[in-house]
Amino acid sequence: MKKFQLGEFEEIVMLTVAILYDDAYGVSIKKEIENRLKRNVSVGALQSALKRLEDKDYLASLDKDATQERAGRPKRYYKITSLGKQAMQYTKETRNSLWEAIPSVSLDVKFAKI
Amino acid sequence: MQSPPKLFLRFFRWFCHPLLAKPIEGDLMELYEERVLEFGKRKADLKFIKDVLLLFRKDIIKPSDGTYRINTYGMFKNYFKVGIRNILKYKMFSFINVFGLAVAMSVCMLIILMLADQRSFDRFHSENDRIYRVLGTPVIGSWPYATIPMPLAETLKEEYPIVEDAIYLRRGIGGDASFNQKTVELKGYFTTSSFFEIFSFPLIEGDKSSALSSPNSIVISKEKAYQLFNDKNPIGKQIKFEDRGLHILDIESGKPSVDWGTYTVTGVIDLSSYKTHLTFDALVSSTTLQQLYTDSLIANVSENWEYYWAAYTYLKVKEGTTQNQLEIALTDLSNRKYSDSEELADYQFSSQNLSKITPGIPVNNEPSFRLPEIAYYILSILALVIMIMACLNYTNLSIARSLTRMKEIGVRKVNGATRKNLIFQFLTESVITVLIALVVAYVVLYFTKEAFMSLWFNKYFNFELSTSLSVIFKFLVFALAIGLVAGTYPALFLSKKNPINALKNTNISKGKWGLQKVLNVSQFVVSLIFIVTSMVIYNQFKHYTEFEYGFNSENIINIPLQSNDYDLVVNEFSQVSGVTSISAVDYIPATGISNVIELASSKEDDEPFVLLNFYVDEHFIDNLNLKLLHGQPITSSREDGKYIVINESAVEKLGYENPQSAIGQIWELENGESSVQIIGVVENFRATLLINGHEIRPMALSNSKSNLNYLNVRIAEGNPLKTVADLEARWKQLDPIHEFKYDFYDQELANTNLAIFDVVTIVGYISFLAILIACLGLLGMATYVTERKTKEVGIRKVLGAEDFKIVLILSKSFLKLLIISILIAAPLSYFVNSLWLNDLPNRVELGFGTVIIGSLLMLGLGLLTIGSQTLRAARQNPVETLKDE
Repeated sequence: MKKFQLGEFEEIVMLTVAILYDDAYGVSIKKEIENRLKRNVSVGALQSALKRLEDKDYLASLDKDATQERAGRPKRYYKITSLGKQAMQYTKETRNSLWEAIPSVSLDVKFAKI
Repeated sequence: MQSPPKLFLRFFRWFCHPLLAKPIEGDLMELYEERVLEFGKRKADLKFIKDVLLLFRKDIIKPSDGTYRINTYGMFKNYFKVGIRNILKYKMFSFINVFGLAVAMSVCMLIILMLADQRSFDRFHSENDRIYRVLGTPVIGSWPYATIPMPLAETLKEEYPIVEDAIYLRRGIGGDASFNQKTVELKGYFTTSSFFEIFSFPLIEGDKSSALSSPNSIVISKEKAYQLFNDKNPIGKQIKFEDRGLHILDIESGKPSVDWGTYTVTGVIDLSSYKTHLTFDALVSSTTLQQLYTDSLIANVSENWEYYWAAYTYLKVKEGTTQNQLEIALTDLSNRKYSDSEELADYQFSSQNLSKITPGIPVNNEPSFRLPEIAYYILSILALVIMIMACLNYTNLSIARSLTRMKEIGVRKVNGATRKNLIFQFLTESVITVLIALVVAYVVLYFTKEAFMSLWFNKYFNFELSTSLSVIFKFLVFALAIGLVAGTYPALFLSKKNPINALKNTNISKGKWGLQKVLNVSQFVVSLIFIVTSMVIYNQFKHYTEFEYGFNSENIINIPLQSNDYDLVVNEFSQVSGVTSISAVDYIPATGISNVIELASSKEDDEPFVLLNFYVDEHFIDNLNLKLLHGQPITSSREDGKYIVINESAVEKLGYENPQSAIGQIWELENGESSVQIIGVVENFRATLLINGHEIRPMALSNSKSNLNYLNVRIAEGNPLKTVADLEARWKQLDPIHEFKYDFYDQELANTNLAIFDVVTIVGYISFLAILIACLGLLGMATYVTERKTKEVGIRKVLGAEDFKIVLILSKSFLKLLIISILIAAPLSYFVNSLWLNDLPNRVELGFGTVIIGSLLMLGLGLLTIGSQTLRAARQNPVETLKDE
C-alpha cells in the first residue's frame, strides 16, 4: 500500500517550494525549476500540480501582495505542511533503500551496451 | 501598459475555478509583462495564449456540477413530473388544450413552411447582396414594372462607376426549335455573356465566358436539351428556330411562325435544380439581335427610352456600395432621361435587391408567377388570430382551474419556493403541453399541406413544402415561444397567491370570472365574423359562377390554333360528326385577355374613344348566339379589319341616339393609318372578367382572318368526349408537332373564379378552426363549472328540481355569453363584409340573411357544446354526487 503518493513532477515542485522557502509563488517556482533543471514548465502543468498537492494537504497557501504589475492580482505563496514534509521524507527514504539494495555488479555497465 | 489578448483572458476567467482564478491570473500577467519586455508583444501574446490553453485541464477548470446546480436539476425534474401527471390526470382539459393548440399551430407551421420555401429563392448566387434588379414606375403610385427600357443596362455600366456590371434580358423569344425532325417549344431571353458574371448559374456543358458572345449562340435548359438531343452531347449542334411569339408564362397562344434562322448550342444550363425567380428554356446571345433587326423580325428598341416592356435589367454594384448610393444614381438617371419627356415625365427607376424579389412587393410583368409579400402578411395575420385564440383557451382554462392547484401552490410556498420558482414551474407545464401539441400539429400539418397544395393557385406557384432540419428547428423555437406566451399569464396569476389563503382555500370563490368572460366573448365574436365572411365570399363565388354573360357558352370547345392555318383547320374539323358550327376569335372573351382599338374623335384635341376589340370570323356572332340588333353580320367577303360590329354600350359611348344611326358610319383609327365602318350592332354581352368592372364596356367585333388564335367549336349534345377524341385525331394529322389543346368554354369561365374559391376555402378553413377553438374553450369552461356544481345539482334534484330546469340554470351564464357575442359580432360582421363587398363589381346582395344564418349556426354549435356538459350533470343520480362528504 502506498502511504504517500508523490509523482515525479510533484516531488520536484515540493522540493522547489522547500528551496524557495519564503518566496514560493507561481512564477518564482516556475523559474526556479526552469533554471535548475533546464526544462520548460507550463503554467498549466505547474498550477495543476500545486492544486493537487494542496488538495492532498502537502502544501498550504496564503494570498498576499496584490501589486501593480500583476494587474492587482494577489500572489499565492506556498508552504510545506508537516504532512508534506513526511511525504517528502518517505519518498526520499524509499529511494535510498532502493539504491542501497542494488548489487554493485548490476550497475557495472562495462558490457551492458555493445 | 500592454494587455494580453482579451478573448483568451476572458476565456481563462470563464473556465478557471473561482478559487484559483485570481492568483493564477496574477502569475500570467506577471509573466506576460516580463515577456513583453524580453520578446516583444507578439511573442508574448502567443506565449500567453499557449499558457491559457495549457491551463485548460481537469484540475483548473471549474467543476460543472456545483451544489446549486444539482438542486435546480432536481426541482426541474419534479416540475416535469408534476406537469406530466397534471396533464394525464385531467385528460379532458389536456385534450382541449393540446388539440386547440395543435390545429392552430399547424396553420402557423404551414405559413412558416411557405415562407421558408420562398426565402430560399435566389440565395445561391455568390455576393447576392450586391445584385439588384432595376424597376421602373411610370406613374406615381402605380405598381412598379419589372421591365425596363433596354438601353438602361448599357448606360448604367458606362456612366456610373458604382455599377460593376449590368445586363438586360430582352424578352421576345418563344417558338419552336427543331433538330432532326424533333421539335420542342423554347421560351427565353436575349442577353450578354455578363449574365454568368452576375448570376451564379453554372453551365453543365459549355464555357461560361464565351457561350453568349458570338451571334446565333444559344444556351438551352437541360430538360429541353434532353428532349432534342437525348443523351448526345448538345454542344455545337445546329438547331433551327421559328418564333411564334409565345410568352414566357404561357399566356399567349402563339402567332404564325417566323423563321429566325439556325442557332449553335453553346451551353446547357440546369435551371430546375436552383430556386430562382427567373424562368426560361433558352438564352440567346444579344449579338444575334442585330441581324434580327435588319430582317425586321423583332422591334429594335435598343435605343428607345420610352418603351418599357422590352427587357429586364439586373446589375451588380461594386463592393461596398450601398443601396442608397444606387438609388441616388438611378434617380439621377431618371431625372436626366425623362424630365423633358411628355408621356413619361414621372418615370422613376428604383432598385430591388435580388434577395428581396421573393417574397417581395407586387410588381408588373414579373418573369414568373409569385405570391406578393402582402399575401403572406394576410395569411400570417389570419393564422395569428387563430393562434391567439388557442393561446387564450389555454390561459383561460388554466386560470379557471387554479382552484385545483391551490393546495400544491401553498405547500410549495411554505416549503420555501419563491415566486420565481413557481412561475418557472407553470411555464414548464405550458411548454410541455405545447411540445405535445407540436407533435400533434405536425400530423395535422401533413393533411393541411396536402389540402393547401391542391388549391387552384398552387398550379402557378409551385411551393416546395418540405421540412428540412432548419425548418424543424424553427418549429421548435416557435413552439417554445407559444408555450411562453400561453403560459405567462397563468404562471404570474397562480404564483401570486398568498400561501395562507391558498392552503385555507379561502378567497377562491371570488375568482376573476370577468376576464374569462371577456376572452370567451371575444373568441366567439372573431368566430362569427369569420363564419359570416366565408359565407359571403361563397355566395359571391356562386353568384359569379352562375353569372349570365349574355352569350351561350354551353357545348362550346375552345381550341387554340397554335399557329396553324385557320381555313385548313376549320375545313378539317367541320367534317367531324358532332360538330355543329365553328367560329374563331383572337382571344376568348371574358377569360381575362382582350385588346382595344382607339377611334379618333372628330374634334382635334379630344381623347379618342377606346373600345374593347375582338377579331372574329364571320361565324362568331351566330355561333355564340349573340343577338344582332341592327345592320348586317360580318361576312367573309369583306376586307380584313375594315368593318366592325359594335355593342349597345359602344353606340352610347360614340354618341348615337339609337343603333340605326350608327350603321354605316366610318371612323378614323387613332393611329391614323386606316378607318373602320360600323356595319352592325349587337346586344350587350360581357367580354371582360367579372371582377374587372360592373359596367359592360363599349366593344367592337372586327372582321379578320389573320388575327385568329382560337376556334370555338360548338358540338352537338350527346357524346362530347367522342367528338373531342375525333377532333384530336384530325388535329394529329394536321399538326403532328404540337399537342392538341382544348377547353370547354363553360369550364373556362368557371375557372376564372377559382381564385375566389381558393379564398373561400382558406377563409372557410380558418373560420372552421376559429369556431372549433372557441367551442373547445366553451366546452372546457362548461365542464369545469358543472364539475364544481355537482353537489348543488344533487341538492336541487333531491328537493325536486326537473332535469330541464337544472340544465337551464347551469347553461344560463354561458347562454348569456353567446348572446352577447352575437349582439356584438352580427353588426360588426355586416359592417366588415360590406366594406370589401362595396368595392366589388357584380356583387351579390349582402342582406341580413347571411348574418342571421351565421349567428344561428354559431348559437347552435355553442348550445350543443354547453348542453353536452350540463345535460350530463343534470342526469346524474343525486345519491352518487351527495354520498361522500
